[in-house]
Amino acid sequence: MEKIKRHSLSVRFVHWSVAISTFLCIFSGFGQMPVYKRYKIDQLPGLAWTSDFSVTLLIHYIAAIVLIFAVAYHIVYHLIRKEFSILPRRGDFKESYQIIKAMLTGGEEPESDKYLAEQRLAYAYIAVMLILIIITGIIKVLKNLPAVSLEMNTLTAVSAVHNAATMLLILGIVGHLAAFLFKANRPLLPSMFTGMVDKEYARHRHSIWYRRLQQKNDKS
Amino acid sequence: MSKLSRREFLKRSAVSGAAAAVIMSGLNKPAHASAGAGKGVQYGTIIDLTKCDGCSHLKVPACVTACRQENKSKFPKPVPSEEINYYWPHKKKEDWQDKKQLTNRLTPYNWTTVQKVTVEHNGREVEVHIPRRCMHCDNPPCANICPFGAQGKTPEGPVVINHDLCFGGAKCRTVCPWGIPARQAGVGLYMKVAPQYLGGGVMYKCDLCYHRIKKGQVPACVESCPRGAITFGPREEIKQLAKERAKEIGGYIYGENENGGTSTLYVSQVPFEKIHQQLAKQKAGQPNPEAPGYPLMPVNVGNYLDTANGLLTSMLVAPVAGAALAGYTAYKKMKGGE
Repeated sequence: MEKIKRHSLSVRFVHWSVAISTFLCIFSGFGQMPVYKRYKIDQLPGLAWTSDFSVTLLIHYIAAIVLIFAVAYHIVYHLIRKEFSILPRRGDFKESYQIIKAMLTGGEEPESDKYLAEQRLAYAYIAVMLILIIITGIIKVLKNLPAVSLEMNTLTAVSAVHNAATMLLILGIVGHLAAFLFKANRPLLPSMFTGMVDKEYARHRHSIWYRRLQQKNDKS
Repeated sequence: MSKLSRREFLKRSAVSGAAAAVIMSGLNKPAHASAGAGKGVQYGTIIDLTKCDGCSHLKVPACVTACRQENKSKFPKPVPSEEINYYWPHKKKEDWQDKKQLTNRLTPYNWTTVQKVTVEHNGREVEVHIPRRCMHCDNPPCANICPFGAQGKTPEGPVVINHDLCFGGAKCRTVCPWGIPARQAGVGLYMKVAPQYLGGGVMYKCDLCYHRIKKGQVPACVESCPRGAITFGPREEIKQLAKERAKEIGGYIYGENENGGTSTLYVSQVPFEKIHQQLAKQKAGQPNPEAPGYPLMPVNVGNYLDTANGLLTSMLVAPVAGAALAGYTAYKKMKGGE
């Protein structure tokens, strides 16, 4: 089956470093709540370290550094290249509804660009949560320094946003993964590993994107 | 008096007035009485172990009694014991409501206690009494690591717990080098969520009588000490005074470096290593040597956040590095025609 390129190495690098660092942040963050000792997770083989706050805090910091690095890379890279195809557009809510309805009923989907309407919305949702988490996280890191002390109300508010945005992010990630319950979405899966997607799939489902690629190819 | 000339009288008045002003402005004087205090002045205490005798004439040391009296209204008001769940899946709960009378250790109902050890120093045995409570650290890990921001350092210096927000995870106790905060189950926010499965109660500890400091009074323990062993004042003056006192008695200071510095400074004639040793020995001999509420005195103990804070530079560099690499990659790619 013929393939075409969907995701560059940069995109895959960002996706996976964000995914892995976010997972580590969430896992170590729950360790800070603290839950692993309470629910005896630390008694499972190989997981004794999970209830050691100094270990989970260090993981949290290191994963956060990777996350911030990847997010900065992502923003600057696409700004320079003027690639904004993943940003939400007017009418995306309605279009998402149509796509999901079509997937459930087997009806006809509206034509899609490089990203489906719900992918653009999901991107915006996860991006907003990550930005909130990163900003509040940086404030929390700074207040840990001996020279910095926050007013108690500020500290409470910052912690609340950090925690709430994390919970919403987890919901977002669950939604993102749940997309693959739909068979129609599965051909996209390999593209995040290899960068390639079936040509036929792209032509059929992402027809706007496909046509644009064709035009570009014709020109060159 | 009749011999005192008018000039001499004025001179002496001026001197004593100035002296009074100095005393008024500083030690054992509260927040707003301090000359030019205003905002930004942090307070601290010195506990002079050469003066404390543990109130040997009393059943309970005066500072302990005063603390209990003063802070009574802040003590936990849990549901009855039989209604308090275990910390599922563990078969335990931290419930002190039947042990309110305990004064020989820190509990949610007893925020200060006086320890007693006998230390051998310079060939003689010295009895040392050590009033113990929260040290009110300069960079308190307890407050910094609270996942809900339920604990904080006030501008005046005391580290206080928000009893309405605390969920009782007791992480603050774990990261405190002295394990000071004490947990009471069956009270607080977690009771409104899923008390059987989430949370553990509320943490309690000394807040240096924050309500009194705000009113311009000194903490109850300071006021009640019959021997003037506890001195309250602006942090910087306290530090200076502790140094002078230590020099005067050829002794030692505890709290200057411990946990990155605290606003409670102990001054003692005997080295704190020896006091710590004796306290550790006492604790090891207890029925449950792991029990919190019997703080030791580890000398030069580090701050829990030291390692994490060491990663700050990497964290600040990360976005810059990410942006730089992105710029380079994008440029190279576009130059290649992609």
